[in-house]
Amino acid sequence: MKNKIIFLSFILFLLTAVVAFSNTELERLDNSDFQKPQRPGAVFEHDGHNEMAGIDDCNVCHHVYEGKKLVEDESSEDSSCADCHSLKAVVDNSITLELAYHKRCKNCHFEQNKGPVLCGECHIK
Amino acid sequence: MNAFIDFIMGPMVWITFLIFILGLILKIVLILKDVNAREPYIYSYMTLKHSLRSIAAWSIPFFPKSTKQSPVFYGVSYIFHLLLFLVPIFLTAHIVLVNEAFQVSWIALDDSIADILTIMVGLGLVFFMIRRMMVPEVKYLTSCKDYLLILIVALPFITGFIAYHQFFLYRPMVIAHVISGEIMLILIPFSKFSHMIVAPLTRAYMGSEFGNVRHAKDW
Repeated sequence: MKNKIIFLSFILFLLTAVVAFSNTELERLDNSDFQKPQRPGAVFEHDGHNEMAGIDDCNVCHHVYEGKKLVEDESSEDSSCADCHSLKAVVDNSITLELAYHKRCKNCHFEQNKGPVLCGECHIK
Repeated sequence: MNAFIDFIMGPMVWITFLIFILGLILKIVLILKDVNAREPYIYSYMTLKHSLRSIAAWSIPFFPKSTKQSPVFYGVSYIFHLLLFLVPIFLTAHIVLVNEAFQVSWIALDDSIADILTIMVGLGLVFFMIRRMMVPEVKYLTSCKDYLLILIVALPFITGFIAYHQFFLYRPMVIAHVISGEIMLILIPFSKFSHMIVAPLTRAYMGSEFGNVRHAKDW
Protein backbone atom coordinates (compact mmCIF):
# COMPACT_ATOMS: atom_id res chain seq x y z
CA MET A 1 0.00 0.00 0.00
CA LYS A 2 2.77 2.38 1.00
CA ASN A 3 4.67 1.57 -2.19
CA LYS A 4 1.54 2.22 -4.20
CA ILE A 5 1.12 5.67 -2.64
CA ILE A 6 4.77 6.53 -3.29
CA PHE A 7 4.44 5.29 -6.87
CA LEU A 8 1.23 7.28 -7.51
CA SER A 9 2.73 10.42 -5.95
CA PHE A 10 5.70 10.02 -8.23
CA ILE A 11 3.44 9.74 -11.30
CA LEU A 12 1.47 12.79 -10.14
CA PHE A 13 4.72 14.71 -9.69
CA LEU A 14 5.85 13.76 -13.20
CA LEU A 15 2.51 14.79 -14.70
CA THR A 16 2.67 18.16 -12.92
CA ALA A 17 6.19 18.69 -14.21
CA VAL A 18 5.20 17.85 -17.79
CA VAL A 19 2.20 20.20 -17.69
CA ALA A 20 4.24 22.94 -16.04
CA PHE A 21 7.08 22.78 -18.55
CA SER A 22 4.83 22.46 -21.57
CA ASN A 23 3.23 25.75 -20.58
CA THR A 24 6.56 27.57 -20.54
CA GLU A 25 6.29 30.32 -23.13
CA LEU A 26 9.23 30.63 -25.48
CA GLU A 27 10.67 34.11 -25.78
CA ARG A 28 9.75 35.32 -29.24
CA LEU A 29 10.26 38.38 -31.39
CA ASP A 30 7.21 40.61 -31.46
CA ASN A 31 5.60 40.11 -34.87
CA SER A 32 2.68 42.48 -34.32
CA ASP A 33 3.97 44.77 -37.08
CA PHE A 34 3.01 42.12 -39.65
CA GLN A 35 -0.56 42.21 -40.89
CA LYS A 36 -1.23 38.53 -41.38
CA PRO A 37 1.75 36.51 -40.16
CA GLN A 38 1.76 32.94 -41.49
CA ARG A 39 4.16 31.71 -38.82
CA PRO A 40 4.58 32.39 -35.09
CA GLY A 41 7.22 35.02 -34.23
CA ALA A 42 10.83 33.80 -34.27
CA VAL A 43 12.13 32.39 -31.00
CA PHE A 44 14.86 34.75 -29.83
CA GLU A 45 16.34 35.24 -26.41
CA HIS A 46 18.29 38.49 -26.78
CA ASP A 47 20.82 38.37 -23.92
CA GLY A 48 21.40 34.62 -24.06
CA HIS A 49 21.98 34.81 -27.82
CA ASN A 50 24.49 37.64 -27.60
CA GLU A 51 26.38 36.03 -24.77
CA MET A 52 26.65 32.76 -26.70
CA ALA A 53 27.51 34.52 -29.96
CA GLY A 54 29.99 36.87 -28.23
CA ILE A 55 28.28 39.99 -29.55
CA ASP A 56 29.02 43.09 -27.42
CA ASP A 57 28.26 45.94 -29.83
CA CYS A 58 24.58 46.79 -30.26
CA ASN A 59 25.07 48.05 -33.83
CA VAL A 60 26.01 44.62 -35.13
CA CYS A 61 22.25 44.24 -35.46
CA HIS A 62 20.82 47.66 -34.52
CA HIS A 63 22.59 49.47 -37.35
CA VAL A 64 22.08 52.96 -38.72
CA TYR A 65 22.08 53.70 -42.42
CA GLU A 66 22.16 57.11 -44.06
CA GLY A 67 21.05 56.59 -47.62
CA LYS A 68 22.88 53.43 -48.66
CA LYS A 69 25.83 54.03 -46.35
CA LEU A 70 26.27 52.33 -43.00
CA VAL A 71 27.04 54.86 -40.27
CA GLU A 72 29.77 53.30 -38.17
CA ASP A 73 29.77 53.67 -34.38
CA GLU A 74 26.11 54.61 -34.31
CA SER A 75 23.37 52.32 -33.16
CA SER A 76 19.59 52.29 -33.27
CA GLU A 77 18.52 50.04 -30.40
CA ASP A 78 16.07 52.68 -29.13
CA SER A 79 14.03 52.57 -32.33
CA SER A 80 11.93 49.78 -33.78
CA CYS A 81 13.07 47.83 -36.86
CA ALA A 82 9.77 48.78 -38.50
CA ASP A 83 10.68 52.48 -38.22
CA CYS A 84 12.99 52.05 -41.22
CA HIS A 85 11.94 48.70 -42.72
CA SER A 86 8.39 48.86 -44.02
CA LEU A 87 6.16 45.93 -44.96
CA LYS A 88 6.44 46.75 -48.67
CA ALA A 89 9.65 47.84 -50.39
CA VAL A 90 9.85 51.62 -50.84
CA VAL A 91 12.25 53.80 -52.83
CA ASP A 92 14.23 54.88 -49.75
CA ASN A 93 14.57 51.36 -48.40
CA SER A 94 14.13 48.26 -50.53
CA ILE A 95 14.76 45.93 -47.58
CA THR A 96 11.33 45.01 -46.25
CA LEU A 97 10.79 44.23 -42.58
CA GLU A 98 10.53 40.50 -43.26
CA LEU A 99 13.68 40.52 -45.40
CA ALA A 100 15.54 42.55 -42.75
CA TYR A 101 14.75 40.01 -40.05
CA HIS A 102 15.49 36.98 -42.21
CA LYS A 103 18.76 38.30 -43.66
CA ARG A 104 19.97 39.73 -40.36
CA CYS A 105 19.73 36.32 -38.69
CA LYS A 106 20.35 33.89 -41.53
CA ASN A 107 23.27 35.60 -43.23
CA CYS A 108 25.19 35.71 -39.96
CA HIS A 109 24.31 32.10 -39.12
CA PHE A 110 25.55 31.00 -42.54
CA GLU A 111 28.74 33.06 -42.19
CA GLN A 112 29.40 31.65 -38.72
CA ASN A 113 28.29 28.16 -39.85
CA LYS A 114 26.18 27.83 -36.71
CA GLY A 115 22.75 28.75 -35.45
CA PRO A 116 19.32 28.15 -36.98
CA VAL A 117 18.87 28.79 -40.73
CA LEU A 118 15.70 26.87 -41.66
CA CYS A 119 12.15 28.29 -41.37
CA GLY A 120 10.97 26.09 -38.52
CA GLU A 121 14.18 26.41 -36.51
CA CYS A 122 13.18 29.98 -35.53
CA HIS A 123 9.44 29.93 -36.23
CA ILE A 124 8.86 27.07 -33.81
CA LYS A 125 5.22 26.03 -33.57
CA MET B 1 26.07 21.68 -41.17
CA ASN B 2 24.95 25.20 -42.17
CA ALA B 3 27.56 25.14 -44.94
CA PHE B 4 25.92 22.00 -46.35
CA ILE B 5 22.46 23.56 -46.13
CA ASP B 6 23.86 26.67 -47.82
CA PHE B 7 25.13 24.46 -50.63
CA ILE B 8 21.91 22.51 -51.25
CA MET B 9 19.79 25.66 -51.02
CA GLY B 10 22.24 27.78 -53.03
CA PRO B 11 24.60 26.47 -55.73
CA MET B 12 22.75 23.14 -55.95
CA VAL B 13 19.52 24.95 -56.89
CA TRP B 14 21.37 26.65 -59.77
CA ILE B 15 22.87 23.32 -60.87
CA THR B 16 19.43 21.68 -60.66
CA PHE B 17 17.69 24.27 -62.84
CA LEU B 18 20.59 24.25 -65.29
CA ILE B 19 20.35 20.44 -65.73
CA PHE B 20 16.54 20.68 -65.85
CA ILE B 21 16.44 23.31 -68.61
CA LEU B 22 19.46 22.12 -70.63
CA GLY B 23 18.18 18.53 -70.25
CA LEU B 24 14.79 19.50 -71.69
CA ILE B 25 16.48 21.28 -74.62
CA LEU B 26 18.66 18.20 -75.19
CA LYS B 27 15.54 16.03 -75.07
CA ILE B 28 13.88 18.07 -77.83
CA VAL B 29 17.06 18.00 -79.94
CA LEU B 30 17.31 14.21 -79.58
CA ILE B 31 13.65 13.74 -80.55
CA LEU B 32 14.08 15.94 -83.63
CA LYS B 33 17.28 14.07 -84.59
CA ASP B 34 15.41 10.79 -84.22
CA VAL B 35 12.57 12.05 -86.43
CA ASN B 36 15.10 13.26 -89.02
CA ALA B 37 16.73 9.85 -89.10
CA ARG B 38 13.54 7.80 -89.28
CA GLU B 39 10.63 9.78 -90.69
CA PRO B 40 11.57 13.27 -91.94
CA TYR B 41 8.48 13.06 -94.19
CA ILE B 42 6.25 14.18 -91.30
CA TYR B 43 7.63 17.74 -91.57
CA SER B 44 5.89 18.07 -94.93
CA TYR B 45 2.48 18.08 -93.26
CA MET B 46 3.29 19.50 -89.81
CA THR B 47 1.68 22.93 -89.42
CA LEU B 48 1.70 25.37 -86.52
CA LYS B 49 -2.04 25.91 -86.87
CA HIS B 50 -2.98 22.24 -86.55
CA SER B 51 -0.37 21.71 -83.83
CA LEU B 52 -1.63 24.53 -81.63
CA ARG B 53 -5.26 23.59 -82.34
CA SER B 54 -4.68 20.09 -81.00
CA ILE B 55 -2.68 21.29 -77.97
CA ALA B 56 -5.43 23.81 -77.17
CA ALA B 57 -8.22 21.24 -77.57
CA TRP B 58 -6.46 18.80 -75.27
CA SER B 59 -5.81 21.55 -72.71
CA ILE B 60 -9.53 22.10 -72.13
CA PRO B 61 -10.72 19.73 -69.37
CA PHE B 62 -13.15 17.07 -70.65
CA PHE B 63 -13.26 18.52 -74.16
CA PRO B 64 -11.64 15.56 -76.00
CA LYS B 65 -13.94 12.58 -76.36
CA SER B 66 -11.65 10.03 -74.70
CA THR B 67 -11.35 12.22 -71.58
CA LYS B 68 -15.15 12.04 -71.22
CA GLN B 69 -14.94 8.26 -71.32
CA SER B 70 -12.61 8.14 -68.28
CA PRO B 71 -13.85 11.08 -66.22
CA VAL B 72 -12.38 9.91 -62.89
CA PHE B 73 -8.87 9.35 -64.23
CA TYR B 74 -8.81 12.58 -66.23
CA GLY B 75 -10.46 14.55 -63.40
CA VAL B 76 -7.83 13.42 -60.89
CA SER B 77 -5.11 13.92 -63.49
CA TYR B 78 -6.13 17.52 -64.28
CA ILE B 79 -6.29 18.53 -60.61
CA PHE B 80 -3.07 16.69 -59.76
CA HIS B 81 -1.05 18.32 -62.55
CA LEU B 82 -2.44 21.75 -61.74
CA LEU B 83 -1.56 21.41 -58.05
CA LEU B 84 1.84 19.89 -58.82
CA PHE B 85 2.84 23.30 -60.22
CA LEU B 86 0.55 25.59 -58.23
CA VAL B 87 1.51 24.47 -54.71
CA PRO B 88 5.32 24.78 -54.96
CA ILE B 89 5.25 27.98 -57.03
CA PHE B 90 2.81 29.82 -54.77
CA LEU B 91 4.01 28.45 -51.44
CA THR B 92 4.86 31.23 -48.96
CA ALA B 93 8.08 29.55 -47.77
CA HIS B 94 9.37 29.19 -51.35
CA ILE B 95 8.51 32.79 -52.24
CA VAL B 96 10.29 34.00 -49.09
CA LEU B 97 13.46 32.20 -50.21
CA VAL B 98 13.24 33.61 -53.76
CA ASN B 99 12.68 37.05 -52.25
CA GLU B 100 15.78 36.68 -50.08
CA ALA B 101 17.85 35.71 -53.13
CA PHE B 102 16.52 38.11 -55.78
CA GLN B 103 14.19 40.54 -53.96
CA VAL B 104 11.37 39.41 -56.21
CA SER B 105 8.08 38.17 -54.81
CA TRP B 106 4.56 37.36 -55.91
CA ILE B 107 1.18 36.46 -54.49
CA ALA B 108 1.27 33.52 -52.08
CA LEU B 109 -1.16 30.83 -51.01
CA ASP B 110 -2.27 30.87 -47.41
CA ASP B 111 -0.26 28.20 -45.55
CA SER B 112 -3.44 26.48 -44.35
CA ILE B 113 -4.73 26.22 -47.94
CA ALA B 114 -1.36 24.99 -49.26
CA ASP B 115 -1.49 22.36 -46.52
CA ILE B 116 -4.80 20.94 -47.80
CA LEU B 117 -3.66 21.13 -51.44
CA THR B 118 -0.50 19.18 -50.51
CA ILE B 119 -2.67 16.39 -49.11
CA MET B 120 -4.63 16.43 -52.39
CA VAL B 121 -1.38 15.98 -54.36
CA GLY B 122 -0.58 13.00 -52.11
CA LEU B 123 -4.04 11.50 -52.66
CA GLY B 124 -3.58 11.96 -56.42
CA LEU B 125 -0.34 9.98 -56.26
CA VAL B 126 -2.04 7.23 -54.23
CA PHE B 127 -4.74 7.12 -56.92
CA PHE B 128 -2.14 6.75 -59.69
CA MET B 129 -0.36 4.03 -57.69
CA ILE B 130 -3.56 2.02 -57.10
CA ARG B 131 -4.51 2.47 -60.75
CA ARG B 132 -1.18 0.96 -61.80
CA MET B 133 -1.85 -2.01 -59.52
CA MET B 134 -5.54 -2.56 -60.35
CA VAL B 135 -6.32 -1.58 -63.96
CA PRO B 136 -5.23 -4.56 -66.09
CA GLU B 137 -4.14 -2.66 -69.21
CA VAL B 138 -2.12 -0.21 -67.07
CA LYS B 139 -0.73 -2.97 -64.85
CA TYR B 140 0.55 -4.74 -67.97
CA LEU B 141 2.60 -1.66 -68.89
CA THR B 142 3.86 -1.01 -65.35
CA SER B 143 7.33 -1.85 -64.08
CA CYS B 144 9.10 -1.15 -60.75
CA LYS B 145 10.47 2.04 -62.29
CA ASP B 146 6.97 3.51 -62.49
CA TYR B 147 6.40 3.06 -58.75
CA LEU B 148 9.82 4.58 -58.13
CA LEU B 149 8.83 7.64 -60.16
CA ILE B 150 5.62 7.99 -58.12
CA LEU B 151 7.76 7.86 -54.97
CA ILE B 152 10.14 10.50 -56.35
CA VAL B 153 7.23 12.91 -56.88
CA ALA B 154 5.73 12.03 -53.50
CA LEU B 155 8.90 12.58 -51.47
CA PRO B 156 9.22 16.38 -51.75
CA PHE B 157 5.54 16.73 -50.81
CA ILE B 158 5.66 14.26 -47.90
CA THR B 159 8.87 15.71 -46.43
CA GLY B 160 7.61 19.25 -46.97
CA PHE B 161 4.36 18.42 -45.19
CA ILE B 162 6.13 16.82 -42.20
CA ALA B 163 8.65 19.66 -42.00
CA TYR B 164 5.95 22.36 -42.17
CA HIS B 165 4.09 20.78 -39.27
CA GLN B 166 7.37 20.24 -37.41
CA PHE B 167 6.23 16.74 -36.49
CA PHE B 168 9.71 15.25 -36.02
CA LEU B 169 13.36 15.41 -37.19
CA TYR B 170 12.92 18.96 -38.48
CA ARG B 171 16.39 19.63 -39.89
CA PRO B 172 16.87 16.22 -41.62
CA MET B 173 13.32 16.55 -42.99
CA VAL B 174 14.01 19.93 -44.63
CA ILE B 175 17.30 18.62 -46.03
CA ALA B 176 15.46 15.57 -47.44
CA HIS B 177 12.79 17.93 -48.81
CA VAL B 178 15.30 20.10 -50.67
CA ILE B 179 17.34 17.18 -52.04
CA SER B 180 14.30 15.13 -53.12
CA GLY B 181 12.87 18.19 -54.88
CA GLU B 182 16.14 18.68 -56.71
CA ILE B 183 16.30 15.00 -57.70
CA MET B 184 12.75 15.24 -59.09
CA LEU B 185 13.61 18.30 -61.21
CA ILE B 186 16.89 16.79 -62.45
CA LEU B 187 15.11 13.58 -63.47
CA ILE B 188 12.41 15.32 -65.54
CA PRO B 189 14.36 15.38 -68.85
CA PHE B 190 15.76 11.86 -68.36
CA SER B 191 12.65 9.90 -67.36
CA LYS B 192 8.95 9.53 -68.15
CA PHE B 193 8.56 12.93 -66.47
CA SER B 194 9.72 14.28 -69.82
CA HIS B 195 6.07 14.02 -70.92
CA MET B 196 6.10 17.59 -69.63
CA ILE B 197 7.70 18.51 -72.99
CA VAL B 198 7.02 15.38 -75.07
CA ALA B 199 3.23 15.45 -74.63
CA PRO B 200 2.79 18.78 -76.48
CA LEU B 201 5.09 17.48 -79.24
CA THR B 202 2.95 14.35 -79.57
CA ARG B 203 -0.15 16.52 -79.79
CA ALA B 204 1.51 18.68 -82.44
CA TYR B 205 2.25 15.60 -84.53
CA MET B 206 -1.18 14.01 -84.03
CA GLY B 207 -2.95 17.32 -84.62
CA SER B 208 -1.08 17.82 -87.88
CA GLU B 209 -1.59 14.28 -89.12
CA PHE B 210 -5.32 14.31 -88.30
CA GLY B 211 -5.94 17.91 -89.27
CA ASN B 212 -3.77 18.31 -92.34
CA VAL B 213 -3.73 14.79 -93.83
CA ARG B 214 -6.98 13.10 -92.82
CA HIS B 215 -8.87 16.38 -92.39
CA ALA B 216 -10.30 15.12 -89.12
CA LYS B 217 -10.29 16.15 -85.51
CA ASP B 218 -7.92 14.42 -83.08
CA TRP B 219 -10.00 15.10 -79.98
